[in-house]
Amino acid sequence: MSAEATLAARDLGVRRGRREVLAGVDIDLHPGETTAVLGPNGAGKSTLLAVLAGLLSPACGWVETRGRVASAAQAPALARRSVRANLELGMSWWGVPRAARRQRALAALAALGVEGLAERHAHTLSGGEARRVHLARVLAVEPDVLLLDEPFAGLDPSARADLLDDVAGVLRSSARSTCVVVHDRAEAWALADRVLVLLDGRVAAAGPPPQVLDRPPSIEVARFLGFSGELADGGEVVMARPGQVRLDPAGPLRGRVARRVPVEDGVRLEIELARGRLHALAPLPGPELGTEVGLRLEGAVRLPRR
Amino acid sequence: MGFIWEGVEEAFELIVHGDAEVMQILGVTLHVAVFSTALALLFGLPCGLFFGLGRFRGRRLGIAMFNAGLGLPPVLVGLVVFLLFLRAGPFGGLELLYTVNGVILAQAILAFPIVAAFTASAVQAVPVGLFEQAQLLGASRRQLWALALREARVGVIGAAIAALGSALSEVGAVVLVGGNIHGQTQTLASAILTEVASGEYARAIAFGILLLGLILICGAALTLLQQRGEGDGAATPARRWRAS
Repeated sequence: MSAEATLAARDLGVRRGRREVLAGVDIDLHPGETTAVLGPNGAGKSTLLAVLAGLLSPACGWVETRGRVASAAQAPALARRSVRANLELGMSWWGVPRAARRQRALAALAALGVEGLAERHAHTLSGGEARRVHLARVLAVEPDVLLLDEPFAGLDPSARADLLDDVAGVLRSSARSTCVVVHDRAEAWALADRVLVLLDGRVAAAGPPPQVLDRPPSIEVARFLGFSGELADGGEVVMARPGQVRLDPAGPLRGRVARRVPVEDGVRLEIELARGRLHALAPLPGPELGTEVGLRLEGAVRLPRR
Repeated sequence: MGFIWEGVEEAFELIVHGDAEVMQILGVTLHVAVFSTALALLFGLPCGLFFGLGRFRGRRLGIAMFNAGLGLPPVLVGLVVFLLFLRAGPFGGLELLYTVNGVILAQAILAFPIVAAFTASAVQAVPVGLFEQAQLLGASRRQLWALALREARVGVIGAAIAALGSALSEVGAVVLVGGNIHGQTQTLASAILTEVASGEYARAIAFGILLLGLILICGAALTLLQQRGEGDGAATPARRWRAS
């Protein structure tokens, strides 16, 4: 364990029957730093968090912590009592002295912008409010290491964006180590100092967000991170996100529109080229099906073919 | 039909005048009901919590046994307890046969699966995520059980209501184990049996009305407690709306 890490894990492995759910996972959490764990469904993200929280024993490897670890489960399950009483109950489990609970509960609720809900019964809260109270409950215990399992799951886009802003603010203003399982890149960008991508139970990429999210180390990671366009180029593959593909009649690439899917601000195009397929976004009305278009790539990555 | 009204009138007279015999039977009935329910809760609640909260092999079988126990024939339980506590039986030395304590034990055995099954079922209905979160924040086993009891309190009080109802109205085990001895182990339910056998229909009706009243009062009191539990902690500010 490095001198400054508050949680370190090495070579973690978990098996379920014959299936390897986690294998060879290393992770370090440092004070004041937020690590986002990204991965598709079934990649082992929640299992990793359960092992780090001590809920699940790994089949191999070890976890070492300095200080206490608190974790927020994915489901925002609240007890049948007022919001403040829920936070105070959480603190009683944690061992916070009774005299300090009320003030800490109100402070945690205020940090997440829900101090006005303190006396409301938990079962009258909306989904977004319940999520905020759920997060406030773990913040109130003031752990040294905070583990959050998909804190934005099940929220509508606007509630999600609001909560993301607030949680990002809370996490950045603290000296604790945080590990958060998230589902998409936007959340990782907003919250994380470090990103860890899990694919099939293994760490497929790890590093600061610009390094991992913009320069994925492998084709599998790039595909997961939204690099949906792929062009063969000798022993390499050029991969691009739709936002990195520009329609440009004078561009060096030429292709034919094979599919059009309307999206929020225009149309998403699937374009077939001689060496592969790219996706691009275009403002409405956009080129018709079968139209030949010129293309230019901005910021695509070049990865060796396996 | 006249004897029915006679029975109703006699019931009110017995109650209003505080008939000593009736009061004695009422006292035994309440004593048996309260202590057997308490005993059933003492053992049934931990079992219900253990099986409702636990994740272990054999848990489903245990819950299935409790559920099967809901249909336990009282006469059979009475017979088993009777045989066990016969002077020549394995527990004959305890001399519980034909005593109020023996009746309490038999009634508690009958009420135990009711409490255990209802509690396990109520605890299973609480979102699992809440217990998981409690564990993640370091809750001890005692704290988890306290949380489960509080969260499942509507079902748990329902279990107490059902156990008390069973203890008040059961006859078979009372007669077999207690002997239905007038002035000692006779309860309202078993007294009805005696009065009917001796053709005292009006008195049987009177005891029936008393028993019904007792069940209604106890049931209503526990139901009020249960419903208060349902809204407990609801500090929601009052809302007002107006028809458009």
